[in-house]
Amino acid sequence: MSAYKRKTLAGGPSKKDLFAPLRSTQIVNSKPVLPAELIATILDYLPGPDLIRFALTSRRMRDMVYDDTRWIRKLRLMGCWNEAEARRRHDEARRKKLDAPQAKEVEEAQRAGSYADGTLNGATGRQHSGHRRSETLFDASIDDTQQNTGSSAVQKPAPHLVEDGFSAIDLSPKKLQNRLLSSPKDTNEVLQVMSKVRSIRGSARQEYGKIHGALAPYYFDLLITPGQDDSAIFRTFQQPEQRAQMLSQVRTFAKADIAEGGLLREEKVDSIMGIFENAALREFEQGVQAEDVDGDMRQFANVLVTLNGGSSAVDVFIQRSSVISNKRSLGRPTDALSGVSSDNINLQASADFFRRLAAALNEQALLIDRVFPSTVDVLLPFVRRAMDDVISDYVENLFREARGRTLECYLKAVSNTYDQMHQFGDSLKSSKGCKDDFAQQVNELIVLCLDPHVDPYMEKELEYFKMKCDAEVEAWDKQRSQEEASTESLFMSNVTRQAAKSDFLKSFRKVVMMPVNAFPAKSSPSTTNKPGHRSTSYTGSYTGSSLELPSRTGSPIPSPSTPGTRPASPSQRPENLPTTELAAKTAIMNSRLEGIRSLFSIEVALNLIHLGKASIERLAIFAKVGSQSCTASKARESCETIFISLIKILGVRHIKGGFDKAVDHLANYNPRDAVQPSTPSASSNGHSLASPTTPSGRKGVAPLVTFLELVNVGDMIQQMVDLFFIEELITPRLVDPDDFLDAAIKEKKRFEQMLDERVAAGLNKGIDVLLDEVEFVYATTQKPTDFNPGAMGTGSGDVGVVDIGPSETASRVVELLGSHTGMLVGSTDKNVLDVFNQEVGQRLFTVLCKHLKRQRISVDGAVKLISDINHYALFVGSLRQKPLTPYFTALRELSQIYLIDTKHAKDIATVVADAGRYHGVITAEEMYEFAERRADWLVVRRDVEKAMYGIGCLIM
Amino acid sequence: MSATSQTIILNSSDGVDIPVDKEVATRSVLIRNLLEDLGDTGEPIPILNVNEAVLKKVLEWCEQHKKDPPATNEDDSDSRKKTTDIDEWDQKFMQVDQEMLFEIILAANYLDIKALLDVGCKTVANMIKGKSPEEIRKTFNIQNDFTPDEEDQIRRENEWAEDR
Repeated sequence: MSAYKRKTLAGGPSKKDLFAPLRSTQIVNSKPVLPAELIATILDYLPGPDLIRFALTSRRMRDMVYDDTRWIRKLRLMGCWNEAEARRRHDEARRKKLDAPQAKEVEEAQRAGSYADGTLNGATGRQHSGHRRSETLFDASIDDTQQNTGSSAVQKPAPHLVEDGFSAIDLSPKKLQNRLLSSPKDTNEVLQVMSKVRSIRGSARQEYGKIHGALAPYYFDLLITPGQDDSAIFRTFQQPEQRAQMLSQVRTFAKADIAEGGLLREEKVDSIMGIFENAALREFEQGVQAEDVDGDMRQFANVLVTLNGGSSAVDVFIQRSSVISNKRSLGRPTDALSGVSSDNINLQASADFFRRLAAALNEQALLIDRVFPSTVDVLLPFVRRAMDDVISDYVENLFREARGRTLECYLKAVSNTYDQMHQFGDSLKSSKGCKDDFAQQVNELIVLCLDPHVDPYMEKELEYFKMKCDAEVEAWDKQRSQEEASTESLFMSNVTRQAAKSDFLKSFRKVVMMPVNAFPAKSSPSTTNKPGHRSTSYTGSYTGSSLELPSRTGSPIPSPSTPGTRPASPSQRPENLPTTELAAKTAIMNSRLEGIRSLFSIEVALNLIHLGKASIERLAIFAKVGSQSCTASKARESCETIFISLIKILGVRHIKGGFDKAVDHLANYNPRDAVQPSTPSASSNGHSLASPTTPSGRKGVAPLVTFLELVNVGDMIQQMVDLFFIEELITPRLVDPDDFLDAAIKEKKRFEQMLDERVAAGLNKGIDVLLDEVEFVYATTQKPTDFNPGAMGTGSGDVGVVDIGPSETASRVVELLGSHTGMLVGSTDKNVLDVFNQEVGQRLFTVLCKHLKRQRISVDGAVKLISDINHYALFVGSLRQKPLTPYFTALRELSQIYLIDTKHAKDIATVVADAGRYHGVITAEEMYEFAERRADWLVVRRDVEKAMYGIGCLIM
Repeated sequence: MSATSQTIILNSSDGVDIPVDKEVATRSVLIRNLLEDLGDTGEPIPILNVNEAVLKKVLEWCEQHKKDPPATNEDDSDSRKKTTDIDEWDQKFMQVDQEMLFEIILAANYLDIKALLDVGCKTVANMIKGKSPEEIRKTFNIQNDFTPDEEDQIRRENEWAEDR
């Protein structure tokens, strides 16, 4: 603004003003002058040569024009400026400057030197960066000269000069012509000018100058020459590659043409390029048709890539490829569904399809390597196209067909296809032009391709699982209610239970570990390698996976429930050993668990778990691939949901109901009602519900036995669930075991808790029932003669012969208790068991005391009593409950009072009063009560009381 | 406020009041900011550096371009190609003598009307394209302060720019 002087307005000031003459001079000279910033803006719009002319006007203008940013901007328009490289060079230069300021100056001087010198210096200096590229081009051109003779009819240039046309162009004076017709060595220089540009701060103008000097003549010549064949590019360069290179460079150069009409000129260059591209493309197509891989195809692929990246050539190549056009030959979706039952799919067919496709694509990859230079990635677009056209078509049809058949078929089809596609993706080999992340890209493509199918699939999977489980449980419920009338109780032999259980769990583990969809692991290197092996494992595993459990109580189809038919299946499928082994064991187990059949079935639990396993394994395929993708997390979620619903159905619907029922039974049990008057001979066997068939002749309280078995089975199922959880969810990392907030883990905990609660509630009831039973046994079987042999007065002769050893009643009670407590071992939590045993011991003690106070015991009977008590103490000792020992030691001591002969009545008093003997368990008063139970109490009472209270008085 | 509040008055440097639509005037960022800061007082706004003739010319351009979308953020101007092509109306508008052209550019710069400034600069660029250094000097009133050696040096350095 400072330089700007406004014109004085005409007629404004008075004539007398002293400055008037000065003003009038000002009017003449005061042309408006633009401030520097505006001149700078104008310079931004000037093309290179005009800028230089502007620089010639004055020093200030030169400095402005020489401003590096101005030229960097031009280079940037052409995409030739690399900021990172510039920064690196700048830093290097600064370091060098610090090291040797002198050297820098020399370099500067060189840079500022003449054009020719600069070029030479530059060429040597940048040998390393441009080296590779120039070599390829050079090789290509040599190649071409060797085989160029008959190749390009269309491109055949008209090498002669059209003289009149040339002279008519006023923009091409002689010097331009001279430059255009420079020596072949220079043409090489020109061809590579763009790739040799360096990004150096401070010399952007020189770099631009090189490009401009090399390309501008061709650029303007191209624009003003009417026919493209006559233009300088086509006259100077004969090889299609060179022409493509030049056109590409000129196209880039046009980007920096900011002068008036620049856009139009750019369009013109584009259209010339289009013509050239079409011609080259035609050649390429002819090459494709003739399958002249190393000739035309290769040459023109190179040309097109040089020209504009070669996307059109890639398109044509893909379009013409046999993979896309002959997709029918790879296999039809219906193949995968024919020839198998409606629930299964023929995996071989789809695997074949993918294998053939992968083979075809790998073949194409080799072809691509031969045809295209390694700078372009052709394979990825190719695969993408194949994915779009071939695979998604196939997959969609397959899924639709499968869906039309059965749900299960659909589910299998989806998960298998997913897996097969990932194997397919892995089996693709990358070509030279592919980037490093080719495999990842392919995987992304696959995920993209299947994406629309995943959500509906997971929904269906869950639906299917729930439906199946519900059906299973319902069928069982229904059948059970039909059979309830004829329910008969059996209980498992005590001896083999532990062994049988662990055996059963072992085979269960085996089956769980065996994958349902036994695919060969993903490590199998290529689908093409061993098709035979794969096929067997596919089909084999599929039929096996449906788990041919001998269907009895749990199966929807009611089969005859006679025990003989049960273990029939092991011979059916000898090839599927683990499965059928498990099946057989299940059958045996079931026969043993007859007693709890009416409550819940281990087989149903097994079936449920297997359904869950099948579903989860199908889903796990999704989770396995691409562990970060949203598909995987969705799959993991679905797995959890399935596990949760499995536990819910199993736990709440199946097990909880059974437990509740069993506890109910227990609560209602009354030993007196259970006595069958009709079996007097079996009075020792006692109860109708306890099985008469038990070989050992053991007795049991039927509902309690049932309940304890239930606890056992519940525990087994819980272990099965646990195993299943670990195998299916933890091992494949579907669920993080440490994440206590995880829904699946929470649900599992809840399940275990529910089980524990039921067990505790049942045991609570069970103790009552058990002790009721004990009392009942005492009441019914303890004969008065047991402890008072002389009382009946019948066999007074054999008074002396006392059968040493516990009475029958005592051994029955011990047996009864022993069998029940023993049943629990290993089936519930240790703490629960301890509490149970303690409670049993303590209650036994109370009951025993009560019982003793009801008896009359003679000195002779005391021996029997002592052996009874010893028997009880032994049993209690076997429970290994420390707190119980004092009670029974006290009882032992107590029993001794009955041994004391009538004559030593005073000693009785001593024993009764000696509280220390009983560890405080029995008070003196109680002891007195026990002493009253002596058969000869009336005789000794006086002495005892005298001794007791006499001593007492003495003390007082 | 009356319905005529859309009209404001600009006072040129030579003291002439020029009524103008607010919409038209606010093509100038300077005026828009002024109005935003001061509110619409109804008083004439003094435009100190622009005389009546130039201001009228500038407002003529603003009138023509009042419907233009607001200029986008031109941060990426470096990477985007801008040619010096000018649309037809603007070309005609700029057919004025060089003095007026410069005045318009200065006014556009002062009033902060970027689009007009661009058009002006493009016109100048097109004007001096292909001109010799001497002609450029004349146009911009520049004194040649080069020694012949210096001039020669520049020519040598930029040989590529010759002959076109």
